[in-house]
Amino acid sequence: MNKHLKDSQLRAALDGELDAAARHHLDSCSACQARQRMLQSQVTATAHRLAFLTLEQKDEAPSSQMSLKRFYSQKIFEKEIPMLKKIYTSSTVRFVAGAALILALIISIPATRALADQVLSLFRVEQVTVVPVDFTGMQELTGNGALGKQISELVSSSITMDKKPGNPIIALDASDASQKSGFMVRLPQNTTSSRISVLGNSAFTFTIDRTKSQALLNEAGRSDLVLPDSIDGAVVSVTIPSSIQADYGSCPDPSTYDSSQRGSMSRQYPDCVILSEIPSPTVKAPANVDVAQLAQIGLEFTGMTSDQAAAFTKSIDWTSTLVVPIPKNAATYQQLPVDGVTGTLIQRPADDAPQFVLIWVKNGIVYAIGSLGTNSQQAIDMANSLP
Amino acid sequence: MKLNPRESSLSLIKMQKNESDALETRDQVFENYFEQYWALVYQLLARMLGDPDEAEDVALETFYRLYQHHPDPEPEFHIGGWLVRVATNLGLHAIRSFKRRQGYEFSAGKTNLNETAEDLPADILEVEEDRRMARTALAKMNPRQSQLLVMRYSGMTYKDIASALNLSPTSIGPLLLRAEREFEKQYGTLVQEKR
Repeated sequence: MNKHLKDSQLRAALDGELDAAARHHLDSCSACQARQRMLQSQVTATAHRLAFLTLEQKDEAPSSQMSLKRFYSQKIFEKEIPMLKKIYTSSTVRFVAGAALILALIISIPATRALADQVLSLFRVEQVTVVPVDFTGMQELTGNGALGKQISELVSSSITMDKKPGNPIIALDASDASQKSGFMVRLPQNTTSSRISVLGNSAFTFTIDRTKSQALLNEAGRSDLVLPDSIDGAVVSVTIPSSIQADYGSCPDPSTYDSSQRGSMSRQYPDCVILSEIPSPTVKAPANVDVAQLAQIGLEFTGMTSDQAAAFTKSIDWTSTLVVPIPKNAATYQQLPVDGVTGTLIQRPADDAPQFVLIWVKNGIVYAIGSLGTNSQQAIDMANSLP
Repeated sequence: MKLNPRESSLSLIKMQKNESDALETRDQVFENYFEQYWALVYQLLARMLGDPDEAEDVALETFYRLYQHHPDPEPEFHIGGWLVRVATNLGLHAIRSFKRRQGYEFSAGKTNLNETAEDLPADILEVEEDRRMARTALAKMNPRQSQLLVMRYSGMTYKDIASALNLSPTSIGPLLLRAEREFEKQYGTLVQEKR
């Protein structure tokens, strides 16, 4: 090869990526060598500036096993567990999720199955109650702050997934959805769903680590709230049955929707209405776990006074009530008759998230209708039209 | 052929079981990939972003994209290259988003320096500032060029880069040269703006 090399070949030579023939030419061509030296000085500057990218043997990474647990906990739980998924991308329900996280904190950590044979209490949703709480100052618990991270790690490292839900599968109609989900699905007869998806059942177990949970409470500045010693090591198992979701209007596709882009949802999907149905999830916990006491601590943690929390706690049957915390100043709620029972309509005035969620429980099935629009009457009519 | 109701439900159950088995297999494949590539993806992002927490978040998102993608174990699917491509893409996006979130570039960089100057030696601050500028320059470039630089300077061979970016190995030399020149141009502009 007598032809002088191109700059790109000289560049490749610097990385030892030149083919043999060109390499042979370079070895014997002083003109090319001179040009390569000039090029090398440019490349050296870039290499120096980008040297921090070079991976080294000493670099460490979090363990893959822990990270995989965190992956399932943070990504799959958050993004793929369907129940009211899109509804729950609203700020209202992020707050709910935050509160749930706090409850998870209180009732958390790794599975010591030796205790699983204790006498268990069974919790099943039969009714819904709303509790307005002040979330000011609590957002870092679910955000990216150090404490939020610790809580997230505590929860994710403690949960053992006994059964994963898999991916949603499409159903053709109510009958098909019933067969796939294993319960009697009811869909409005006077309107057609744009998509019906069924998510498989799932189950997970966690064990309370009182010491770690109390340490986090202390770190959050609430050392005045003391978790009872009796909860330490208690195994709590949660079973979530198959659920269905029926979309009406133009709704985001759960498989492609990017939940981080919430800002434009109401503009993108103004006519989207989502009906979700799920047989009541069940929670099994040892009989010595005093849920009312823990709930009272949770409520005090959210800012209620001790008296307020005690009064609210006494008014609830914790074994059968789904308690939905809502932000005190950012959402309103009312109870109203729907589908032959009493439902709860939660509304949130905002332009970047769902405006309302209607929740009710009938014959052991939890129903919810959420919409990005403002027409809550549409949800009430839909609930009343179920066969 | 018309199935009677019992045959129909058996067939449905069988179909569901097959779907369930397929999901299990897919999850196993995914978890194997996770085990194999987690450290690589995380370390690459940790160096790109200079923030372990953010690197972990972006690495998890990278694997979530893989999870959504549901790759079958086909020999022609170059999983490592695919992960590096997605990770670098998300990493660059994170650098840009971080800048937008903070609304800072040099002004805040200077503030940051002033705030921390008392705590850190000057040479460390200078190194950090150089890295910050390099990251900013990468984020300002054409994404494909930035990816190329990140891959090359993290130690990937031309062959691996070509595979990850679906390019011919012989095209890497010319593209790399152009990318380096563009990087120097962007970096120089940032240096000028800083003065």
